Amino acid sequence: MSEAAETEKPKKKGKWTRRAFIGAGVLAGGALVVGVAVRPGNPTDEMKKRLAKGEGEELINAWVKIAADNKVTAIVPHVEMGQGSQSTLAQMLADEMDADWEKVEMLESPATARYASGAIGREFLAPTLEVPKILEPTVEGSFLKIADMMDLQITGGSFSIRGTGQRDMRTAGAAARQMLIAAAAEEWGVPAEEITTARSMLSHKASGKSATYGEFAAAAAAQSLPVRPKRKAVGEFKLMGKPMPRKDIPSKVDGTAIFGIDAKVEGMKYAAVKAPPVVGSTVEKIDANAAKTMPGVLQILNMGDFVAVIADGYWQAQQALGKVQATYSKSEGQSLDQDAIFKRYSDALDEAGSDGGDTEISEGDAVEAFAGAAKKVTAEYKVPFLAHATMEPMNCTVSVKDGKCEVWIGTQAPLRIRRAVAESLGLGEDDVTLNNAFLGGGFGRRSEVDHAIMAARLAKAAGYPVKLIWSREEDTAQDFYRPSSTSRFEAGLDEKGRVVSWNNIHTHLFDPQEAPTVPYYAIPNQLVRKVDVPMHLRFGPWRSVDHSQQAWFIESFVDEVAEAAGKDPLVLRRELLEGSPRHLAVLNKAAKMAGWGSEMPGGHGRGIALVPSFGSIVAEVAEVDMTGEKPKVSKVFCCADVGFAMNPDAVKAQMESAIVYGMTAALYGEITIKDGAVQQSNFHDYQMLRMNEMPEVEVALINGDAERLGGAGEPGLPPVAPAVTNAIFAATGKRVRELPLSKMNWA
Amino acid sequence: MSITMTVNGKQAEVDVDPATPILWVVREQLEMSGTKFGCGIAQCGACTVHLDGKPVRSCSTPVSEADGKAVTTIEGLAGEDGTLSKLQQAWISEQVPQCGYCQSGQLMSAAALLKRNPNPSDEQINAAMAGNVCRCGMYGRIKKAIKVAAGMETSSNEEAAA
Amino acid sequence: MKNTAIGAAALSLLLAACGADPAPGPTEQIVVREPGQAPKQAAAEPATDDAPAGDIIATGKEAFAVCSACHAVEADAPAGPGPTLYGVVGRKAASVDGFGFSEALKASGIVWNDAELDAYIADPAAKVPGTTMAAGAVGDAEQRKAIIAYLKTLAG
Repeated sequence: MSEAAETEKPKKKGKWTRRAFIGAGVLAGGALVVGVAVRPGNPTDEMKKRLAKGEGEELINAWVKIAADNKVTAIVPHVEMGQGSQSTLAQMLADEMDADWEKVEMLESPATARYASGAIGREFLAPTLEVPKILEPTVEGSFLKIADMMDLQITGGSFSIRGTGQRDMRTAGAAARQMLIAAAAEEWGVPAEEITTARSMLSHKASGKSATYGEFAAAAAAQSLPVRPKRKAVGEFKLMGKPMPRKDIPSKVDGTAIFGIDAKVEGMKYAAVKAPPVVGSTVEKIDANAAKTMPGVLQILNMGDFVAVIADGYWQAQQALGKVQATYSKSEGQSLDQDAIFKRYSDALDEAGSDGGDTEISEGDAVEAFAGAAKKVTAEYKVPFLAHATMEPMNCTVSVKDGKCEVWIGTQAPLRIRRAVAESLGLGEDDVTLNNAFLGGGFGRRSEVDHAIMAARLAKAAGYPVKLIWSREEDTAQDFYRPSSTSRFEAGLDEKGRVVSWNNIHTHLFDPQEAPTVPYYAIPNQLVRKVDVPMHLRFGPWRSVDHSQQAWFIESFVDEVAEAAGKDPLVLRRELLEGSPRHLAVLNKAAKMAGWGSEMPGGHGRGIALVPSFGSIVAEVAEVDMTGEKPKVSKVFCCADVGFAMNPDAVKAQMESAIVYGMTAALYGEITIKDGAVQQSNFHDYQMLRMNEMPEVEVALINGDAERLGGAGEPGLPPVAPAVTNAIFAATGKRVRELPLSKMNWA
Repeated sequence: MSITMTVNGKQAEVDVDPATPILWVVREQLEMSGTKFGCGIAQCGACTVHLDGKPVRSCSTPVSEADGKAVTTIEGLAGEDGTLSKLQQAWISEQVPQCGYCQSGQLMSAAALLKRNPNPSDEQINAAMAGNVCRCGMYGRIKKAIKVAAGMETSSNEEAAA
Repeated sequence: MKNTAIGAAALSLLLAACGADPAPGPTEQIVVREPGQAPKQAAAEPATDDAPAGDIIATGKEAFAVCSACHAVEADAPAGPGPTLYGVVGRKAASVDGFGFSEALKASGIVWNDAELDAYIADPAAKVPGTTMAAGAVGDAEQRKAIIAYLKTLAG
């Protein structure tokens, strides 16, 4: 970093101020590098220790490198777990700098604090800005410790494009372009304003001069840094808003894409593990006599909290592990069964009554309005625990040697992994090098660090590199689950069928809470409460976090309220969204796509749901066919407003994906507990939606606000379950108040 | 025990426990990582390879079964000169993969389907592909790409250009 | 929006509280051999405790390893991805309680004898189209014979 200039005047926001800087420098070989840096304006000592270890700005992100051969490399601080975020981030940067897309490459930034995600960091420094709560745990009830969140290089919260892309990649691209122009203007002796750029070329029409970016890369680095690089207006976009093919896809069709599980490390051996079935138990003793004689076995270890076999090959390790007899300590959770868990919920809700529990939202007087209502509606809903079931089971490869450690993994949170591994080995963070690969699905599961710590401890104990791979059974039984929940509602209607009160209480097991526990709907008296129910299981963020439960509760109950009011579910939603034009536009578009209101054959039905989440608004209409043995979802129409779809095809793909993920949960998803342990083990008893059950899906996008982007990875999920169950009601008159649908008898 | 097989057209000899599933021999002994481990019980299809042209779940097929036979993995789906197969090209034009982990298996199942049935109906595609789970839910795009590769539908690129 | 401001004091408190002790090492570590070291003779011959080498049942048991990912062999084993094969020889197809058999297998009318098992293990989908047994095709006739011999030992 040669020097730095301010791009923005520091703004005072809350206790923190923020400053963003553009930095530039020249690398060996004459490559220009440009980045956006953030310096905490007023850090506490602790903050500084974490975020700014050296002098000056450290949180550098969103680099671009322009090499002498005219190749442009976008260095992105987010991982690739399927959304194509890396590709879209490069697209945003390339557009701002008028780079030749064919010559743009991507590189995932290394896991060091230098590349911590500045956009996220900035949100910490400017907490009044909107940020997904998953990335911003609150001091009260923070499940993800705030210290964890200091490791800011995280991919999650549907945040990459709207945060890093919008604020940093575009700024870096615009700055690079401006510096290249300035360098050319100087060399050619022409005014900068007369120089045009396109496809990584600089041109001056009057003099006929032209040159590649690469030719001016070194000279550009010597230019003074732009104070406020001019970013493009929507009308000037060339790549942004276009369905550009993702750059990661070719490697995913020929077997060359490298995932965490594909790490190749000299001398590595394979580990299979089994943790006690009941979380909180420990391994008391093991009988390894049978396992010891199995082929390929190198070591058998009781690690206290799990059993491991290390062998020459993974299959050998698995086979031998199956022969190890382990006894586990008794623990608190072991007497718990699924029915007892739901009993705990209902007891806690009973105790809270109509106005107890922790108040989350209180407007007007919902209790009084309900008492005086002309018509009353009540309902209780239940959803189960869910596992993530990423296609690639948890795995991690670690080498520990001479006080240094190297980690190979596919993770959503590289810096968190690095710190967790360092702490578990008693090393400094700088002694741990992390190599991140593609993620075979993340969905929140790969923001956890448990498997990496296990691998590190095994590698240390073994004395040689170890590749730990969880079996599918272990992956299913040792997840950080989406919490199960029970939610109760009371709503009151006046004589004219208007909703005058809304009172909800739901059980709560996991922070951060992400869902806006209501009101995108305009209801005068609202009371929303939660009640904590302690549990021995481990919970974590699961695609769309608590929207996955709350949206089903809320959108199911809105439908029941509409029924009680004698109104069409679409009509009631329109009434309640009168003051929200973007929401209304999305709702109406989805309804229009589906031909809402048109006749359907007997046993068929249509349901609608609208959910705003992660800064985006999505409405979905599902069509179901209830004439067979079990519900068949035949069509899903989806309309999404993500602000501005930077890569519309990638956004559509996210909606298609989230619909399947949400439908899988609605139809089949259920983790149950018996004697404290998870009963499911593999895809035969934790079922996935398959191609033969895939509905036709149609997605439409609305660009409602190009300045405030929303997320794409998660918002398509919450509406699908309620759209399906509301459709089932339309088809059968039968309300679904418990998921999954496979539990119900449809005969 | 020594097993001899042809893998992607090349002779391979491995000395392993004959009960070892083909998956782990391909990944560990032959060091080809395109074939993936997903479930270990033939429920997800991520490990699909061809054994003498037929699709098998390599996680549940012992390598003894491959003795003297031809194994084709994702690394062998393209032409010898590296030209991608029509299916792989369609996978790109339809932007099928998301995380990509299941796609080797999806492609191998699809390739086996088109080999025995060049013009499959929707039901036939469903039947052939229902053993392959895609957790990113790209079933719609997979089906479309199969039809594009079979010449039954035009690619999204051409549709956009038209 | 509520719950968004982070108190500076609370923040430093939490940061100070992190920094855990290193995770514990193994409570028991059995080193069978070092990498690269040749396996001991005993380790090289699996399943020596049950039957003499060369025995068809031992061969069958060894070949069954892949099957055991889905099938238990104990009488009272809980249902896995496949049903328990305890007592399979001689029983009617799809007759184990508590397992969700395919309609195809239920309707097959098969009683599992040597010939039926041999045909089914050779190619399950060809023998019973619609079966959910996706894996398990054993091409080698000698192996199938050995597996069936082993299955016969699984009875009370």
